[in-house]
Amino acid sequence: MSHEDIISKLHPLERKVLPLLEQGISFDTLLAKATSMKEIELMRALQWLENKKVIDLKVDIKEVVDLDENGKNYLAEGLPERRLLSQVKKNTKVADIDITKDELSAALGILRKKAAITIEKKSEGLFLSITPAGEKSLQKESLEESFLKKLPIELKDLKDEDKFALESLKQRKRIIKTDIRKIRTIFLTSVGKEIILKDLKKVSSSIDRLDPAMLQTSSWKNKSFRKFDVSINVPKIIAGRRQPYLEFLNDIKRKLVGLGFKEMTGPLIESEFYNFDVLFQPQNHPARTWTDTYHLKYPTHGILPDKKIVNAVKSAHENGGSTGSTGWHYNWNPEIAKQLMPRAHGTALSGRQMAKGIKIPAKYFGIARCYRPDVLDATHLIEFNQMEGFVADDTINFKTLLGMLKQFAIEIAGATEVRFYPDYYPFTEPSVQISAKHPKLGWIELGGAGIFRPELTEALGIKVPVMAWGLGIDRLAMFKLGINDIRYLFSSDLKWLREVKLV
Amino acid sequence: MPKLDISYKDLKQLFGRDISIRELEEESLLFIKGEFDGIDNDTLKVDCKETNRPDLWSTEGIARQLKGNHGIEKGIPQFKLKPSGIKVKVEKGMEKIRPYIVAAVARDIKITEDLLIQMIQLQEKVCLTYGRKRREAAIGIYDLDKLSPPIFYKAVAPDGIKFIPLESDKLMTPREILQRHPKGIEYSHLLESFQKYPIVMDSKNEVASMPPVINSDYTGKVTDKTKNLFIEVTGLDKGVVMTALNVVVAALSDRGAKLESVEIDYPDARVISPNFTPKKAKISISYINKISGLNLKNSEIKILLEKARYNVKITNNIVELEYPSYRQDIMHPVDIVEDIIIAYGYNSIEPIIPEISTVGDLDEFEVFAEKVRNLLPGVGAQELLNFTLTNKDMLFKKMNLEESEIVEIANPVSALWSSLRNWNIPSLLEFFTKNVSQEYPQQIYEVGDSVIIDQKAETHTKTIKRLAWAEINADTNYTKARQVLDYVLRSLGISDYTVEDAEHNSFISGRVGCVLIKGRKVAYIGEIHPQVLDNFNLKMPVSAFELNLTDLYEILE
Repeated sequence: MSHEDIISKLHPLERKVLPLLEQGISFDTLLAKATSMKEIELMRALQWLENKKVIDLKVDIKEVVDLDENGKNYLAEGLPERRLLSQVKKNTKVADIDITKDELSAALGILRKKAAITIEKKSEGLFLSITPAGEKSLQKESLEESFLKKLPIELKDLKDEDKFALESLKQRKRIIKTDIRKIRTIFLTSVGKEIILKDLKKVSSSIDRLDPAMLQTSSWKNKSFRKFDVSINVPKIIAGRRQPYLEFLNDIKRKLVGLGFKEMTGPLIESEFYNFDVLFQPQNHPARTWTDTYHLKYPTHGILPDKKIVNAVKSAHENGGSTGSTGWHYNWNPEIAKQLMPRAHGTALSGRQMAKGIKIPAKYFGIARCYRPDVLDATHLIEFNQMEGFVADDTINFKTLLGMLKQFAIEIAGATEVRFYPDYYPFTEPSVQISAKHPKLGWIELGGAGIFRPELTEALGIKVPVMAWGLGIDRLAMFKLGINDIRYLFSSDLKWLREVKLV
Repeated sequence: MPKLDISYKDLKQLFGRDISIRELEEESLLFIKGEFDGIDNDTLKVDCKETNRPDLWSTEGIARQLKGNHGIEKGIPQFKLKPSGIKVKVEKGMEKIRPYIVAAVARDIKITEDLLIQMIQLQEKVCLTYGRKRREAAIGIYDLDKLSPPIFYKAVAPDGIKFIPLESDKLMTPREILQRHPKGIEYSHLLESFQKYPIVMDSKNEVASMPPVINSDYTGKVTDKTKNLFIEVTGLDKGVVMTALNVVVAALSDRGAKLESVEIDYPDARVISPNFTPKKAKISISYINKISGLNLKNSEIKILLEKARYNVKITNNIVELEYPSYRQDIMHPVDIVEDIIIAYGYNSIEPIIPEISTVGDLDEFEVFAEKVRNLLPGVGAQELLNFTLTNKDMLFKKMNLEESEIVEIANPVSALWSSLRNWNIPSLLEFFTKNVSQEYPQQIYEVGDSVIIDQKAETHTKTIKRLAWAEINADTNYTKARQVLDYVLRSLGISDYTVEDAEHNSFISGRVGCVLIKGRKVAYIGEIHPQVLDNFNLKMPVSAFELNLTDLYEILE
């Protein structure tokens, strides 16, 4: 950049500062000289000049001892011990001395130590008398007093007597304080040395701000605009944004809708009937115990749906009903089915949707908030989202189930390869677990799936095979959001929410 | 899901052939729904996902299954059995306490370390998972030579007998065991409610065990000197106890034990156990192909089923099957189809993308909620996602409110997460507390669910979706909150709403309003009460509102 270029880009604030600059001038001195500028304006102007390589700003960190609140007062009116002593003659009554109570007790302690007074307790109160040593000390400035006059002073410049005074004053309330100060000194660069010699006015006829008046009067014509340093850093803006994990879920929803799935929703509090019984999970199943699922203290029981469904579910459990199954061989208890609980898995949504009645072919998905008794840590949430769904059609079989899962792995997880593992779920048979090879994450367990058992679907009046799936998408979300701690999906860190990249 | 430790060397010996870890991990363990979970020296860790097939929860059972899949054996596994002449007499009254017992004898056993480890592991896993923590099946294994048959299964009063239980050296009564013995304390809930407790003893009144709690120290200890075993299983369902017994003795038979049956004399029936009579089933070829989609020929189906250890006869496209008695998991033909597909190999199947034409769509209310969510960043608010689990203190005490009915968890992991929230603003204030040192102003919102009590509803609760908005800043006030709410409502096409004075202790009195649309209350809006701010350790004013989107949607409909 030529010198003219630099000058043409100078901000009015920079123009104000330039003539005031001297080699090695301190910021404070400069501030005193730049009477029309605020401290922040001066600071910004200097930073811009530094960006333009006109000056070097040297910053020294200094520890400085300075007067605190009380110190400032004492410097003007004298330390309490001097004020007290100057009022003491022989047998002076304490109550007659003009001094505050706090100052009195501090001053008494110090004067006694110096043997400057004697104290006598009489029935009318305390009486003080000045000693010869006291008289002498009245004539002389104490170390503390002369120290206060020197302030502010840098810590490293302290002499021995200063250190003594410092230690003694430190014990006392708000007389001195130690500050850490940035001392800024300005040095002109070779460019700067030349520029301050130029006549700034020569290149000063440019427009700084385009304002409406100029546009109305066309006065901008034939004028040039001051050039800006477009490479400059600007303060960050804080704007409102969507929650990143919810945005991730929206992306996935969009993909599923694109694949022909309808969204289903359901209540957070479920009956065990929909959470387990409809899904053919026997009432003595370990997943239904207190260690595996939450139960409610209040309200405890809900209402079962209409008898037709309840009876069909009951006989499916007890003897397989009309499905050709043996069932689980036990007496199904409607009271257990009525018990309420926070939804434990997303499949409860599918159960509810099927019980409501569906039109074949049907493709449904849902994102369900689920609850399990886990502790909150970097790898566990106390509540989490599951993505579930099902497809009901006469053409469904195990091959098409694998086909759909492979499609999910590719479309949703960006997988390059899949592998299938036999698995067990109480509500599906055959059951499968899918692993997907993600280009960055490697092999991840993507989810479980299967064909709903006929004991389940037939009890709900569905005569065609129904394939059901549940995808674990949190690891994918964590990868996309660049986090290792799962709690960030429900982040309570405002800074992170304001700054994280959206996916 | 049972997690098993098995010896690799032992597995190869029982399998009868060398097999690499890689082959086990990638192919063979899939036949038993097993997931390879690492190897430590000789110990293979396997997660068996099949919770209804206890026969797969031991090295013996895994080897037995794999022999079929790898063509070393085919069809149903064979177990030799002859009568022992031993009887178990079940006294009247047991039907009200723990009704069923079955038993077996295993002779000429060579107790090795591998056998002992597997026997104990299998016994534990069967009792824990299949036996529902001993409630439905509890297994006792004894030194037969210390017992004098016949064996009696009877009920005894809590103080009616004394014996030394395992892990003790003192004579104890059943009551004392339930009160003081570690196992007694652990399982006391299974017996407490009865007047008398079950006891297994021999003809010389030597106690064998107090099921399902503990064995006696004398008869119930198996060591490397033991030659002959007596095994019994008690429980609540005759199918479950027989399956458990069959599984345990089949494993002993695979290690060369000679099995003998025992006669169980109930007051009104006689049962011989164990029972290896194969179970039978029928399934049509067309059903197999419909569910699997594999289009298999009859001959292929026969081979796959034999690999899965079925005996097979196919006539007129109907498959007649025999399968091992311990397979209680087969409830429906679909269970057999899965066995066929597993034997075929999941990863040998070519996936086909289904061609089903449907129109996808989002839930209408969710679309509405999403519209609302997208409005708020326009006023500079940051969206949040909070937990719905919280606690009463947060919802009421800190909010300056009297307690009212809300959903409470009976078995919370922590008191912090013991209730479901019934409104959302407390979550926002909690968020402010965690972010006091962040840059101001802070404007946040959440469209999220909360749950209220609704006695008329099927679940006695109603899930409500609400928009909560709040700003914390030195100069925030009612006007700001009102402007934001007004912007939201106008954007949704609602201009005819009114705001009335309201009483709400979470807000400053006189600076809180209730928003009505068509006469229905849909929102509270105001400046948060300084006492509430103090409770949340906030040193800045907060204005906020909470809008019921569930009701609003109903009104707009």
